[in-house]
Amino acid sequence: MSFIKKFIEQETINRRNFLFASAAGMGSFAAAGMFGPGMARAAITDPTVAWSYRNRTNPYWNEIVSGGEAFVESLGKEKDFLTHLINEGSSEKSLADVKALLSKTNGDLALAIDTNDAPNARPVVEACVEAGAYVSTLWNKTDDLHPWDFGDNYVSHMSWSDEGPAEQTARILLDAMGGKGGVVHLGGIASNNPAIERLNGLNNALKDYPDVELLAAEPADWDTQKANQVMSAFLTRYGDEITGVHCANDTIAYGVLEALRAEGIEGMPVVSYDGNPQAVDLVAKGDILATVFTNPHWGGGITASLAYHAATGHFKPSEEPNEHREFYGPTIFITPEDATRFKADYIDNVPTYDWTDFWGPSNGQIMYN
Amino acid sequence: MNSFLTRDILVKWAPLLVLLVLIVFFAAMEPRFFSVRNFARIGISSAPALMVAIGVTFIIIMGSIDLSMEGTVSVCAVLFAFAFLAMGGTLASIAWLALPLALLVGAVIGLINGLIHIRLKIPSFMASLAMGFVGTGFALLLTGGDRIRIEDEAFRALLTTRWFNFPIMVYVALLFTFIAWFIQSRTTLGRNFYAVGGGEELAHASGLNVNRVRVLGFMLAGIFYAVGALLAVGRIGIAETATGNNFMFVAITSVVVGGTALWGGIGGVWNTLIGVLIVNVINNGMVVIGLPGYVQDGVLGALVIIAVVLSTDRKSVSFVK
Repeated sequence: MSFIKKFIEQETINRRNFLFASAAGMGSFAAAGMFGPGMARAAITDPTVAWSYRNRTNPYWNEIVSGGEAFVESLGKEKDFLTHLINEGSSEKSLADVKALLSKTNGDLALAIDTNDAPNARPVVEACVEAGAYVSTLWNKTDDLHPWDFGDNYVSHMSWSDEGPAEQTARILLDAMGGKGGVVHLGGIASNNPAIERLNGLNNALKDYPDVELLAAEPADWDTQKANQVMSAFLTRYGDEITGVHCANDTIAYGVLEALRAEGIEGMPVVSYDGNPQAVDLVAKGDILATVFTNPHWGGGITASLAYHAATGHFKPSEEPNEHREFYGPTIFITPEDATRFKADYIDNVPTYDWTDFWGPSNGQIMYN
Repeated sequence: MNSFLTRDILVKWAPLLVLLVLIVFFAAMEPRFFSVRNFARIGISSAPALMVAIGVTFIIIMGSIDLSMEGTVSVCAVLFAFAFLAMGGTLASIAWLALPLALLVGAVIGLINGLIHIRLKIPSFMASLAMGFVGTGFALLLTGGDRIRIEDEAFRALLTTRWFNFPIMVYVALLFTFIAWFIQSRTTLGRNFYAVGGGEELAHASGLNVNRVRVLGFMLAGIFYAVGALLAVGRIGIAETATGNNFMFVAITSVVVGGTALWGGIGGVWNTLIGVLIVNVINNGMVVIGLPGYVQDGVLGALVIIAVVLSTDRKSVSFVK
């Protein structure tokens, strides 16, 4: 029966060899995997381009997304080529939509995203990196999350620091008030970072104006109608003591101006933020003293462009310096003197941007406290 | 018997009492609250909400619910603004036709709402909520996210021209409140709302075409939402997708705080008027007495619960769902 014994021995060895072989095979797959699928295909020839954001009802996000559309049109595609992922203010939906799109596109994705809140940025970025997609973030991320920790796939992050510009508009306001009197602040949603920074800006400026009292600061939730009601109530409480109004953004300022109009109050100094087209008109008319334009159109376009050009291999993010990976967006002041020129340059004719000039209008590397 | 009557009367007048107590409270905390100018401000913030709340009152009396107001208000506001500007942009021209057009739009949305509810047999809660989203989406589609400014001085007179210290929009709101009261108490349709809300089977068995009453109710509500939309545009001079924001919470809260029961059959237009005033007095008063912003939402919620406890008769209800 020796042939049987021999057969069994042979089979055992074969099986052992097979197991060794497979283990080695798996191992080498795993070893290859360590470099990541992103490395394996550094360039995606025709990635899906997507923008993930809150919704389009808000004029600010509408501008952002119109920039994204302008960018895909510059590629010679239809506007519809841009995939819209709308999170409606839900981080869970934001992440779920991204994961769904990653599966659908098999990772051939260039994603521009505001993750709705800062903690959601990490899971979104990790999902993209794992799938070999390329992602650029706007506004929200935690301070410990950095694009350079993820090789090429986390392309960039852009944000704005509103404290400095808000302080400057506050100074314009306080000067217009003659350096005395009472100022009220109508803020955004209290927990939103820009809302906090814009109020900080006012507080910083107030330190140099000891004769101006901050009568009250209330959230108006970025909402025109809420701002209208809060301002009316301020007028009841403080009446003539109010000699200036600091608004966290333009939509709030519209509500404030109408509350003043309802009372027949004219010439009250008001400053705002964001540089929406209608606010620029109001600055030109002198109804608003100053607003700050952050060029959301460019911000929306360039964020998509960075992700796209990294995906297609046009540039290699990991070879760029840190100030090209995390940077502040542009801020432009608009006052009555330059409102008309600004309107002609930026609003009546939306400039045709060079979407490969990634960092030209940006404003330096993001600093952390 | 005597004590029963007293309780009955108390329940009936409780919402008004709540309102008076709130006014006295805020006036004691901050005397400037109690001034004609401030009452005018409360009037301005109440006027659009009152119209929307009256619209939904009819539906709630029938024992249904309509949650489409935010979308409907946005669509009416935006279509009004487009039509108004396209036809000349001033009330002195043919553009005044945009006003009845807006009401018509409101009625049509209400009609669709009602038909979806009864023909497809979808609960009013779901049908109207969905229609509301459709409305918001449609308004967004129309505007592309932009805001439309209405600068016409004649139209803005709603806010800027005052008779006896109160702007015209407050009188317009009162006029429509009287119309609503007339419909509620002096027309067959109004009484049919109560019949449906009081007992739908009974109303049906008595030969009432309940479905017809329901559809008409939703159309009527849509017309009042449209009036609310016009006043909202008059107040801030802007028509946009966000014009309808927050109306759902304010309207439903006001109706309930005013003493109209969510299970139908009880309450009416005057209750809603008091309810809207309660909510707006609370909102205005909290800022006037200088309550910090982060406390306000919590206080509003708590006050609403207290107001509902005080102003609705829950003894006659065996269960709450």
